[in-house]
Amino acid sequence: MVFIINPVGASRATRSRRTGSVLFVRLVIARCSVDYVGRLTAHLPMAPRLILIKADGSVSIHADDRAYKPLNWMNPPCTLREQPGEDGNPTVWTVTHAKSGEKLVLTIEEILHDSTHELGVDPGLQKDGVEAHLQELLAEHITTLGEGYTLIRREYPTAIGPVDILCRDGNGTTVAVEIKRRGEIDGVEQLTRYLELLNRDPTLRPVRGIFAAQEIRPQARVLAADRGITCVTLDYDALRGIEPDEMRLF
Amino acid sequence: MKFRVERDVLADAVAWTARTLPVRPSVPVLAGMLLDADDVDGHQRLTLSSFDYEVSAQVSVDVDIDEPGRILVSGKLLAEIVRNLPPQTVEVSTDGAKVVVSCGSAKFTILTLPVEDYPTLPAMPALTGSVLSDTFAAAVSQVAVAAGRDDTLPMLTGVRIEIEGSTVTLVSTDRYRLAVRELTWTPEDPNVSAVALVPAKTLADTAKSLTGGAQISIALSTAENGGEGMIGFEGGGRRTTTRLLEGEFPKYRKLLPESFNSVAEVQKNEFIEAVKRVSLVAERNTPLRLSFTSDRLVLEAGTGEEAQAVEELSATLEGDDIQIAFNSTFLLDGLNAIESDVAHLQFTTSTKPAIITGKPADDGTASDYRYLIMPVRISN
Repeated sequence: MVFIINPVGASRATRSRRTGSVLFVRLVIARCSVDYVGRLTAHLPMAPRLILIKADGSVSIHADDRAYKPLNWMNPPCTLREQPGEDGNPTVWTVTHAKSGEKLVLTIEEILHDSTHELGVDPGLQKDGVEAHLQELLAEHITTLGEGYTLIRREYPTAIGPVDILCRDGNGTTVAVEIKRRGEIDGVEQLTRYLELLNRDPTLRPVRGIFAAQEIRPQARVLAADRGITCVTLDYDALRGIEPDEMRLF
Repeated sequence: MKFRVERDVLADAVAWTARTLPVRPSVPVLAGMLLDADDVDGHQRLTLSSFDYEVSAQVSVDVDIDEPGRILVSGKLLAEIVRNLPPQTVEVSTDGAKVVVSCGSAKFTILTLPVEDYPTLPAMPALTGSVLSDTFAAAVSQVAVAAGRDDTLPMLTGVRIEIEGSTVTLVSTDRYRLAVRELTWTPEDPNVSAVALVPAKTLADTAKSLTGGAQISIALSTAENGGEGMIGFEGGGRRTTTRLLEGEFPKYRKLLPESFNSVAEVQKNEFIEAVKRVSLVAERNTPLRLSFTSDRLVLEAGTGEEAQAVEELSATLEGDDIQIAFNSTFLLDGLNAIESDVAHLQFTTSTKPAIITGKPADDGTASDYRYLIMPVRISN
């Protein structure tokens, strides 16, 4: 998850009396009921719930199931006003959206847990690691593509960006390989552009293409076949040399 | 073009040809079905063709022709229309760039596609031999069940056909099981020796759909003899070709064990029913456990923490008692594939592959079908 720090929302929402800071996530577990007043009206009856108040000011209310999607939430910019319970009245938190004025009203009977933690700036989800590793592994085991294949180089530079792998097949023909985790149409398009460029180089041409991915979409397969590009499905675990746990004939 | 034909004859021919229409045609004309009405050796014949650069299909039927001609129409649409026509005579005629299909009081007008853009179907390779169609279809279905479905190992998605004189061996494996079947056929050249790897799904569909005639002719051209690696099948007026798969098939013969420590026999149908019942509690990827003793087979699945099932069958066992576990789907595939009423199982140890065959004939000849299955490790 990437945190977009919204200084307006953050300063209002999480500069609580307890922390006085703007970059903390606050976890509250409380028995509460929640009313949403705005474009639609929704009510969550009294029950124990997890309330997340993030550094950007957003507030989300979770039940004890599923990995995403809160029961109710308010996106930033918004403000949280805490009204302590007095004279038998329960504690009421009101989250107000800064632009639309929509309100999330939490009526809290009992706070079971309340803590704040500084997470800092998130480095972001690293999806490309696998792709880079696939490239490295395939370059190491270039004969996965077929017998007699030899590597020319990884990240072969062209005017429009580097080709993942440039190699030669058993007959000495130059082959450009595009590697993806999921093989989609745009990957085939990308390889097509590289091939067009590489085929202008008299020292390389003819250059044919291999589209290698862990999983190739049928549409991408059709497009690749139509352009004379070979599709190869890669087994990441096998390339890494990870043997499956189960017993096999060979 | 103008011809008349009975609805059932046309429906069969169109439906069969439509099976090989590409799902995602990269060129629009490939979605077309070619209809060619012409005199062939003094017979008025309608020839229907489809092709997707991998598989081609062609069938020809007798029709009454008023005017010969060649047209290309959307194969899917034609198949839908013809399937739903009333059981009467169908008349097909061209009207400019359109085709009129009329039957009883129903009349359809459909567009034609440019016939001159349609690719030429590959020629049938030279005849290699012929085989009884029922035998071939049964053998292919016994073997194709063990073929892989995972594209990471394309050579395992095929059925290997080994031809050695009058013997044909079919084999396929997905690394967890291996099915091998031998059959005899009539080769053109008694000393023929050839090997081909045919996509399993195409082969299974083809063999099943060519049982209309008594014999299937097989025509093979491999890269070695100068062709481009293609196999053709022809029977009952239908012919189809498919491109061969490339890649090296594993050396499977060494996987077949030579000696065994125990041999069990179980009534097949009882066994299949029991496996189906007991495996109801086997979660995905958890095995079915079998314990063989001299006169009993106990099937168990599930663990103490979850649902459990147990069933006991009578069985005979010669040799050491054995406890072994299998993936129940793979076990069922093997049991369903054998032709005998009695399943014959040969074991070495609980971690070595077992062989399932039909009960061998009394004269001691080896079974022509073997299903090799890798056990699953029993976790304690």
